[in-house]
Amino acid sequence: MSAPILEVRDVHKVYGGVRALNGLSLSVAAGEIHCVVGPNGAGKSTFFKTLIGVERPTTGQVFYKGQEVTKLPAFRRARLGLSVKFQNISAFGELTALQNLFVPLRRNHRKADIPARASAVLARVGLAGVEDTPVRQLSHGQQQWLSIGLSIAAEPDLLLLDEPAAGLSSEETARTAELIRELNRSGMTVVVIEHDMGFIRSLRARTSVLHYGRLFAQGGFDEIATNEDVRRIYLGAA
Amino acid sequence: MTGVTRSRIPALLAGLNGPQTLGNSRLFWVLWLAGVAAFALLPCVASRYQVLTASNFFISAILALSLCLIWGFAGILSLGQAAFFGVGGYAYGIVGINLIEATGESGAALVVGALAPALLAAAVGALMFYSRLKGVYVAILMLVVSLLLGLFMRQTADPAYAIGGAYLGGMNGLGPATASDPSIPNLTLGFGELVAEFDGRGRSFYWLALGALVAVYLGLRWLVNSSFGYLLVAVREDERRTETFGYDVRLIQLGAFCISAALAGLAGALYTAWGTYIHPDGFSVGPNILVVIWVAVGGRKDLTSVVVATLSLSWISIELATWGEISLLVLGVILVAAMLVAPEGVFATLGAWFGRLMVRSRRRPAPPPTAAAKLGAAR
Ligand SMILES: Nc1ncnc2c1ncn2[C@@H]1O[C@H](COP(=O)(O)OP(=O)(O)OP(=O)(O)O)[C@@H](O)[C@H]1O
Ligand SMILES: [Mg+2]
Repeated sequence: MSAPILEVRDVHKVYGGVRALNGLSLSVAAGEIHCVVGPNGAGKSTFFKTLIGVERPTTGQVFYKGQEVTKLPAFRRARLGLSVKFQNISAFGELTALQNLFVPLRRNHRKADIPARASAVLARVGLAGVEDTPVRQLSHGQQQWLSIGLSIAAEPDLLLLDEPAAGLSSEETARTAELIRELNRSGMTVVVIEHDMGFIRSLRARTSVLHYGRLFAQGGFDEIATNEDVRRIYLGAA
Repeated sequence: MTGVTRSRIPALLAGLNGPQTLGNSRLFWVLWLAGVAAFALLPCVASRYQVLTASNFFISAILALSLCLIWGFAGILSLGQAAFFGVGGYAYGIVGINLIEATGESGAALVVGALAPALLAAAVGALMFYSRLKGVYVAILMLVVSLLLGLFMRQTADPAYAIGGAYLGGMNGLGPATASDPSIPNLTLGFGELVAEFDGRGRSFYWLALGALVAVYLGLRWLVNSSFGYLLVAVREDERRTETFGYDVRLIQLGAFCISAALAGLAGALYTAWGTYIHPDGFSVGPNILVVIWVAVGGRKDLTSVVVATLSLSWISIELATWGEISLLVLGVILVAAMLVAPEGVFATLGAWFGRLMVRSRRRPAPPPTAAAKLGAAR
């Protein structure tokens, strides 16, 4: 397996009395798709937040491309090629779809090239033609797609997707999986948090199970799906 | 209209139009031009007193626009916008008194009037935004800055508080240090032989103030519909998300804050030139809250609404003033009613409503110049 593009070592994150992360250690290989699953409240989203830098770990370290980034502000990590789609929809509602895309695209492209690039991104996430629609007028699913589009538009080396299929129809979910595989084939490392097991199965990727803020199990999807302990924590959490 | 001008005009307007401003249609701009023309012609029919008062309204509208930029677009409410106005006003006066006899003009004083508050904003803003101060804390901190400046200026009655020929003067306001020093000069612009003096009580100053307001308004329309404008809105909506696209949000906030302070300072400098008078009361709570009211009542997210609201409210309060005691009560009722009926602003709500009506009344509405077309036009 190739060198890790991302590694967290013994990361703790405490919110008041809640231990959202409790000694998490995990690494992601460059070029892989890596799935993260776990019961509600396992700390998956918090894991992403410490990766992108909008939250600092209470203790522990984060490495990206071999460099320690634990204390680096989020905008600097973004400039190093990290991009995220948070769990909640995070497109800018009062801007149009094109203006939304302007935000990630402006960093890497000349102004004149942006409309064409933006249209290409929109087409890629199945939103061709909504360029000038204010985002708050788009449907839930469309906003979800646009959120994904925004994180792709940043052209990251490492893409973090927190529940990209939430609220999408099964057909749209399948399309999301296809998009992730496509991005991965073009060289992007993708880490995906999802609850939808059908979706995870279709990605056929290495999967980490988080539980109570630590790594509970790791392996191929089939390995994880047949793991008795994993079944138990999922049932226990339900 | 010939085909050539038909196609030129939209191209000219493209940079000024966009989803961040209400009123992008040709009808809007025709009405806008008519409004500006009516104001330009007002001195031909109005009394000297009305002209003088209206000049001050234009200055107020510039101040209101400065707050609109940071509050409406960048989401930073400041309760201390009058601080920048006051600093600009004092800066104009101090530099004007010291330079008018040497250079014969006060344009440099006007420039310093805008720059000094921008520098203050850079210092205070850096402290606030780099320590990630947010929301109500920024609002209150700015009010405290304003009150402190007022407190300082009030106790400058001692003759030692003189900067060159300018004496800060405590409660009496800024004035000449000695009998041989000039008083605060009228706005005097020009080079060498070609000098124009704008007496604050006259028509020429009125037109100058109107021109300044139009320029600031158009400049801000261009700014908020530019890529920097999108970023401001993005920061307003979700600071954290904007940061994860690689933007140092603090710098964006600081940039907007400094531009806003410079505009408020410009307004302050014009104010001092208008009345050749500046006083510490400008830093107190009242003037600070008044700006917030102008911006909130019209609609903080729209430039046109803010200008219309500021001019209307200023006019109403002057009219009401003749009623005596009850005027404040009436004004208060108007404000509360406006806030209850249209929390997003009276004119912004009316504008949006009118816009929808226009679209519905035409079968095929002329689409507003699209952002795509705009970006293309920028090529
Ligand atoms: N800002 C916060 N303040 C306090 N507690 C928090 C905060 N963010 C997360 N938590 C808590 O930390 C724990 C982990 O939350 P996290 O969102 O990381 O879980 P998750 O695995 O993403 O769950 P889900 O599957 O429901 O999205 C939860 O108990 C949550 O309540
Ligand atoms: Mg989560």
